[in-house]
Amino acid sequence: MIDTPAQPTAQAGAATDPGRTSRRRRRRPTKITEQVPRHLRAHLTAYLMITPMVVLLGIFVIWPLVYAFYLSFFEMSFYKDAEFVGFDFYKYVLTDPEFYESLLVGLKLALMVVPTILVLALLLASFLATLSKRMAAFMKTTVYVPAVVSSVVAAIIFVFIYQDEGFANWFIGLFGQGPLAWLNTASTALPAVAVPAIWLGFGVSTLIMLAGILDIPESYFESARLDGANFWQRTRYITIPSLRNVILFLLVSGLTLTIQEFQLPLVMTNGGPVNATNTPNLYIFNSFRDATPYATSYSLTAALLLFLVIGTISLVIFRVVSSEKSSDA
Amino acid sequence: MRQRRLRIVAATAVAALIALAGCSSNNGNSGGSGGSGGPAEITFWQSQFEPYQQKWFKTYVDKFNASQTDVKVKYQVVPGDTWQQKLKAAQAAGTQPDVATTNYGGIPAGVANGQFAELDKLLPGKAWSDIKSNVGGFVQVDGKHYAYPMLVEPSTVLYYRTDLVKAAGLDPNAPPKTWDELLTWAEKLTKGKVKGMSIASVATDLGWSSWGLQYNACGHLPINDDWSAANAKDPCYTKLFEFYQTLFQKGWIPQQPKVGYPDATPYGQGQVAMMANGSWAVGQLKQTFPAMIKNTAVAPFPSVDGDPSKPTATLGGWTLTVDAKSKHKEAAAKFIEYLLAGDPAIMADFFRQSGFSKYTVRTSVDQALAGDPAATADPFMKIISDKVVATGKAEPAYPFDISLAFATAIESVMKGKSDIPTATQKASDAIDRVIKQQRLKGTAPKG
Amino acid sequence: MNRSWYAPRRLLSYLLVAGIAVTALFPLAWMAISGFKGQDEVLRSPFQFFPDVWRIDNYRLILADPAFVRAMVITFVGAVIFTVASLVVNSMAAYAFARLDFAGKRLWWLVCITPMFVPAMAILLTSFVVVSKLGMLDTLAVLIIPGVAASAQMFFLRQFYLNMPAAVEEAALIDGATRWQIFLQIFVPQSLGPFVVVGIASFLGYWNSYVWPVLVVSNPDLTQIMQYLATFRSARGNEWGMLMAGSTLAALPTILLVLIFQRYIVNGVRLAGLK
Repeated sequence: MIDTPAQPTAQAGAATDPGRTSRRRRRRPTKITEQVPRHLRAHLTAYLMITPMVVLLGIFVIWPLVYAFYLSFFEMSFYKDAEFVGFDFYKYVLTDPEFYESLLVGLKLALMVVPTILVLALLLASFLATLSKRMAAFMKTTVYVPAVVSSVVAAIIFVFIYQDEGFANWFIGLFGQGPLAWLNTASTALPAVAVPAIWLGFGVSTLIMLAGILDIPESYFESARLDGANFWQRTRYITIPSLRNVILFLLVSGLTLTIQEFQLPLVMTNGGPVNATNTPNLYIFNSFRDATPYATSYSLTAALLLFLVIGTISLVIFRVVSSEKSSDA
Repeated sequence: MRQRRLRIVAATAVAALIALAGCSSNNGNSGGSGGSGGPAEITFWQSQFEPYQQKWFKTYVDKFNASQTDVKVKYQVVPGDTWQQKLKAAQAAGTQPDVATTNYGGIPAGVANGQFAELDKLLPGKAWSDIKSNVGGFVQVDGKHYAYPMLVEPSTVLYYRTDLVKAAGLDPNAPPKTWDELLTWAEKLTKGKVKGMSIASVATDLGWSSWGLQYNACGHLPINDDWSAANAKDPCYTKLFEFYQTLFQKGWIPQQPKVGYPDATPYGQGQVAMMANGSWAVGQLKQTFPAMIKNTAVAPFPSVDGDPSKPTATLGGWTLTVDAKSKHKEAAAKFIEYLLAGDPAIMADFFRQSGFSKYTVRTSVDQALAGDPAATADPFMKIISDKVVATGKAEPAYPFDISLAFATAIESVMKGKSDIPTATQKASDAIDRVIKQQRLKGTAPKG
Repeated sequence: MNRSWYAPRRLLSYLLVAGIAVTALFPLAWMAISGFKGQDEVLRSPFQFFPDVWRIDNYRLILADPAFVRAMVITFVGAVIFTVASLVVNSMAAYAFARLDFAGKRLWWLVCITPMFVPAMAILLTSFVVVSKLGMLDTLAVLIIPGVAASAQMFFLRQFYLNMPAAVEEAALIDGATRWQIFLQIFVPQSLGPFVVVGIASFLGYWNSYVWPVLVVSNPDLTQIMQYLATFRSARGNEWGMLMAGSTLAALPTILLVLIFQRYIVNGVRLAGLK
């Protein structure tokens, strides 16, 4: 079997394990050296290293989040005393069918966008890794270009592509189909929004994949080549397993971002036709429109519930992907 | 050695960040309170609209600041798409502006929340008596004034291309009077790539742009007068649903609108022969598509049965409000008085800048404009003012959720997702839910 | 890698490059070219790629606007500080989570990764209250500091550090190196590629942020580039020509940055040699 870098990962885990076992031995006097024991130093170093992050996140995310949860039990008025309402707003959000519809829209969108980006980025990055230096330099910049186009402008460009005489209808016309009202047909609207989302996101994902592929020791590929493995076999048995950590990242971050997509449907469809592209954040945005305390509390609660949903899904992904890792090792 | 140096680098970076926070925050707070002696400093947030509006506000804020030394106005434009977020965040932190633009529909809810300062004593009596009687009620709750109105703009007016109408064998001097006639026009004017007309077709736009037509079809909105229960299943709405449905399903309106309802671009570019839009579209046509003006005529939007006295539009528009927690209410009122309620020439200038696409709420400004040949010669102003504004209704004060629920029903029927009874049942349930959850029963504003 | 290509394969490769380039660059080109169009031309149907008449007014007006230049400069300065600071903060934490074992690691990991899943809307009001109470409103700091610690970035770098062979670390420890030395002298230099990728993403994130600057900044001197571009937008008709020209100009620094730094996303030599 080909040597996979899953092993270095496992080794990394093993390397840190002694720290864990030695914790039990901490009370035994260590007279071997006069220095502070290495494992203790690692504790101190680790705390120093995470302190800036923990402090900043604590102030600007965790505390506001805790505070938001606290506020969600009130009907918030900034002019009168806020009224304690317990779980009322959770009940309101959770009994609104449109909230579930919007979650479903967000999930569907993520299912269209994230796997497509992963596959595209993997293929593209594998391809880029084979190019000459100058060509690769050009391509690395090129694939990234869509990411610098703001989503408002991208949305408008794609509105054009989907117009009656637009590129999309010209294309399906070649096969004797259409024309379709892409953005105003329940079955095509969401995929039509997914395309610019993919287009905007694949560049950075490709660069990330590329960085991951270039991280794989070439000796792996060379020995595979000697064994006569073709591109697909190399991808399947070397690239993908080696990229597991990168893929886990792209999966979780892609999902988190896509479920929260907002600007594209806002400009392209405004959530229509009949809520078919009403993503969770668009739903929350619309429930925020009124100036009333109710609207403020409702949208806040809906956003907190969205947080719980995204967190839960990500937790499941973490579980599934890392359990694979342990079975491999 | 190396390690220490790098650790120092890291420490310096963190320290620099903290220093950055520290020193810049000192600068940031310096402009806060007016202090003693100096002018009272008030902040004014304006929701961003057409470019000429920002220009007009800036000009007169500067003039006001230069004209006296008691009050200094800090003017800020806030993009419309982030207005609610910015305002609510500021309210939560207590940094909200002293003066803000507020639309008519937002006044009753804001008053119920205790958000606005009462203005009766802060502005002189003649400022209030100058307001036209049909608008006076828009800024009052229980007989007290909480906002000073700036303008009205009807949400729905019919624009049509006289050249295309003639070419289709129709009479441009006899615009459609009923919805059926309008449908006939839309059919005849749909030729090749040019669609018969444009109108809202997505729930978020339909939500507010169809209020006038809801009144027109039924004489009421889809809720009881005392807001105790939904009234969305009234059979009189059938005509309204069928009207929108026919336009969409026959392909007489663009199937994939490029822009939202309030943007007149498709009409300006000749992609549609007629357009339902607010009066503000006049301004956009004049500024961006001036060539279109000579072939454009306006008419009140047709009525369900041809009765021209029934409302077809709601009168949207903007007011200035003073925050209830403002420390400088008098100074704020002074600014509002200067800008909106004082010299009629200031507001007259605004309406001139707008291409007469908005309408004054003050008798004295009307008189000032009467002497302006540009105003009296405007081909659209008189029709809109006399025939649309005159029958226009106030925007409903209930939460937008209700409008959205009914608009979703319209959209569902338009796009064939459900039939009328199913759609209205769903809307009715949703509206009842809103009434219950937001405790609306009995809170309807009187009048 | 073996690069002995034969001709048809090379041709295929060029075709692929060309195809990808067109797909990726077309919208940018359209945006740039639309900047030369008149106000009523941009949204015209049927689709028109080139303007009737090439006008440079939009570009000239924007370049001559001191507010634009100011916004570009201040946003650039902010983005550079932001990117450097977040690389420092996040890579340190990433190293600790990937390579060190310490008491309460799982708890701290949870604390550091959870923020990734928090929708901006959920903490919009409360984080505004926090920065306002800290007296940070209307400063460069409030644009930079709240976003410096980024869970996604930290997570990303951690995933790369996990891949590093443990042998390297063990050898260095035996030689008496400290964890700081290992981190700074082995891990950081070896992950230039990931650093560049994540740095570019941070820079872009800062560059494109819009809602937060609108909330926290009212001083015109601190107006960010996306705020500036928003002045051309309105529900009642956008100034498309200006918006396209402005967006094109605003995209240039970010493209330039990738052009400069892409060369660091290259084959790392370490692993092959060290195995």
